[in-house]
Amino acid sequence: MSERALPGGGLSTGMPSAPLARLFGWLALRGTLATGLAITTAILFIGFVAPFLYPVDPFAIHPDHALEAPSLMFPLGTDELGRDELALMLSGGFATLIVALPSAVLSFVVGVAYGLASGLGPAWLDRVLMRLLDAILALPSLIILIFFASLVTLDNTSLILLLGLIAWPSLARLVRNETIAQRGRDFVLASEQLGATRFYIARVHLIRVMAPVLVVNGTFLVGDSVFAISGLSFLGLGVQPPQVSWGSMLESALDIVALDPWWLILPPGLLIFGSLLAASLTGQGLLARYGGGR
Amino acid sequence: MSAVLQIYNLSVSLPRGRAGNVAILDELNLTVAAGEMLALVGESGSGKTIAALSVMRLLPPGAEVTGQINLAGRDLTTLDERAMRRVRGRDVGMVFQNPLAALNPSRTVASQISEAYRVHQGGSARAARARALELLGEVGIPDPAKRLDDYPHQFSGGMRQRVMIAMSLACSPKLLIADEPTTGLDPLIARQIMALIARLRREHEMGVLFVTHDLSVVEEHADAIHVLYAGRSVEWGRAVDFFAHPRHPYSEALLGSVARVGQQRLQNIPGNLPEPESRPPGCRFAPRCAYRQPDCEAAYPPPLGRAGTRAACLYPLPLTDRISYAQEAEKPPASNFTPQLEVKDLMVRYTSAAGLFRPASTLPPALSDIALSLGRGECLGIVGESGSGKSTLGRAVLQMIPYQGHILLDGEDFAALRGKPKRQQRKRIQVVFQDPRESLNPRIKIGDIIAEPLRLAGISGRAELKRRVDALLGRVGLNPEMAARLPSGVSGGQAQRIAIARALAAEPELIVLDEPTSSLDVSTQAMLLNLLKDLALEAGLSYILISHDFAVVSYMADRIAVLNAGRIVEMNHTGRLIAAPQHNYTAALIGAAPQLRTYSR
Repeated sequence: MSERALPGGGLSTGMPSAPLARLFGWLALRGTLATGLAITTAILFIGFVAPFLYPVDPFAIHPDHALEAPSLMFPLGTDELGRDELALMLSGGFATLIVALPSAVLSFVVGVAYGLASGLGPAWLDRVLMRLLDAILALPSLIILIFFASLVTLDNTSLILLLGLIAWPSLARLVRNETIAQRGRDFVLASEQLGATRFYIARVHLIRVMAPVLVVNGTFLVGDSVFAISGLSFLGLGVQPPQVSWGSMLESALDIVALDPWWLILPPGLLIFGSLLAASLTGQGLLARYGGGR
Repeated sequence: MSAVLQIYNLSVSLPRGRAGNVAILDELNLTVAAGEMLALVGESGSGKTIAALSVMRLLPPGAEVTGQINLAGRDLTTLDERAMRRVRGRDVGMVFQNPLAALNPSRTVASQISEAYRVHQGGSARAARARALELLGEVGIPDPAKRLDDYPHQFSGGMRQRVMIAMSLACSPKLLIADEPTTGLDPLIARQIMALIARLRREHEMGVLFVTHDLSVVEEHADAIHVLYAGRSVEWGRAVDFFAHPRHPYSEALLGSVARVGQQRLQNIPGNLPEPESRPPGCRFAPRCAYRQPDCEAAYPPPLGRAGTRAACLYPLPLTDRISYAQEAEKPPASNFTPQLEVKDLMVRYTSAAGLFRPASTLPPALSDIALSLGRGECLGIVGESGSGKSTLGRAVLQMIPYQGHILLDGEDFAALRGKPKRQQRKRIQVVFQDPRESLNPRIKIGDIIAEPLRLAGISGRAELKRRVDALLGRVGLNPEMAARLPSGVSGGQAQRIAIARALAAEPELIVLDEPTSSLDVSTQAMLLNLLKDLALEAGLSYILISHDFAVVSYMADRIAVLNAGRIVEMNHTGRLIAAPQHNYTAALIGAAPQLRTYSR
């Protein structure tokens, strides 16, 4: 996860205009976390607050206004059925986030627990769990997702479980390796000498020492999760009609891409991109600020 | 003798947070002559390393430097970075504390030494290789032709330091800066390295600036000494004069806090080294000085002293002879000896785990045929070089590693225990590790660290925990306010006290002290050893003290076991062992222990 490119990080070099270079430099150095948190807040606002501030029925059809560019009446235009694009985007945001956030939490919990069990358990358990992990990682996660998505009835709960149970392996491996690196440290040995059980050591010592790694990678998981649900929806295997999501909005815009409906492509596309950017910036920012103190 | 290095009025300030620059080093003046070894001595935070780095112009960005640094008549402070690069390595060689970090692990030593040579001298690869061979021989690497193409990890710690020295000598520098080159090495090896540097400086007419916190390594080889305290010179002059008659109270205290064979009680220097931001205006040592007078705190004292060394002190110590300690009286064996801990036929063998296509390999045992016993309230010292198995022995007693044989606590064999009863029994033996920072979880507040054993023992209730934690902090001489801090906010010595408080909280009967003082400054070390002695009497504790430092062990231990290559070669009461070692190895270890003369008032 850490090899992820830092957006804005490499931009300060070779910038022709000095004020721009300074801006990017500032973003890279100090503003990463602030920018990440600002975008995160904006996206959460769009998904959970804005629908109440813009109470337009996203599914109301206006056949005589089909495929209109943004206007005063429809701030983001309409789709081919004449539905209000802004209302759809807000509703799609809620549908996306309501799946993405819980599934990120689920994969976080599974990943941390799996990694700790593997790193602290007996050697045979570690071997079994790690081989299993290798097997899972060997298959592209999108293939696994599509396979399982075709087997179950797709609703929010099944999507959360599906995504949550797919995204954890890389975190699990990271936690397992960190656990192995930390469990031989003197303060862990001292705690064992004081009579602590492995569970106590995991809960009190390891979780706290790994906190920066966990927070940063947990943040990345949220971004990955938004991306995954959007990808699935794009393929028609995610959020099901009549509900819309950012991914399915992109997909339906693609059908009529020949008509160049930029107002149908840009908003959901930018929001998916913004979610990934927010997670990446927030994670990198947290890493830069709190990651050093291990 | 001509001067190689002259430093005039060197002051250095470094950026510290938002407050701007803070003065680290003030008005340092010193001269190193050709063929002379000058020891720059001070505790960590005294500014000694900053002084050495200033000569190489390797200070962190933002550092402000005033004064002059003349190397063979040329002022280095006026050179640009290009010219400075030519000085480093060619005119000045440098040897650091940790040779493994300074050597490139992926290249052979020959290529690294040749590179150092060719960068400055040019010449063919063949000539450089010949030079590398010559240098390896010169620094005493046995069979140098065979070792040329070895990688750094194939050398032992002492040999790596020799390689590092060979590298720094590649261009026959006029000045060698050695920054704590022997720290972290066994005393025997450290002594050999010191002797090597001493020999090379004579043969090459090279000046040596030797930076160290350890007075004991200085006495034998240094020609001159310069003691720094809190960024100021406190005493300087010929080493023989210094060791015969230290004039500054700080020097005296420093000499008094070095643990030596056969000493009753180490001197404490009360208080702590002041932080650079809060250095007192007058004599910087005044707040901790036993001979302080009112005018000491008024202004910084001018250097005094016509005979012997010069000391920046208004009331230097007299040039009279001191009374030396009588040899420690041989202690009688403890009466009614009931063993608290018994170790029988202990063997430890590390194996590398079997792979899919490879059987588990077996190495020679790390420990074999170990038998020993420990009485209640006794302190048993375990000495030996690194690799002798002494830490392994400690870990076996602590039940941290698998072993064969029997370890009994109050007659109960650990081998017969499992699960909770074993945890309960293990808890009666506690541990204090070498590196106090590593032994405290950096993310847990000190109060909670000390409360951990209490919580594990089922004690709850905020008020009760706080009362106990405060009491424990008091017992190890710390302020209860410290409970709210994180480990990063305390000094190394304080961190070690916290580790001791945590061990005490489990109400143990035996504590395994694994090199408890070797990462600490001498004055801190003295305070800690005295604290451990007091606690043992107070709480009836027994200790197993593991150390490579014979002097520390002999100060603490009632009996000493000498470990070599995994076996106990000799075990006896401390006084007898020192007076009449039966084994050559023991004699060599005692010989390598600091041999400073003893001082007392």
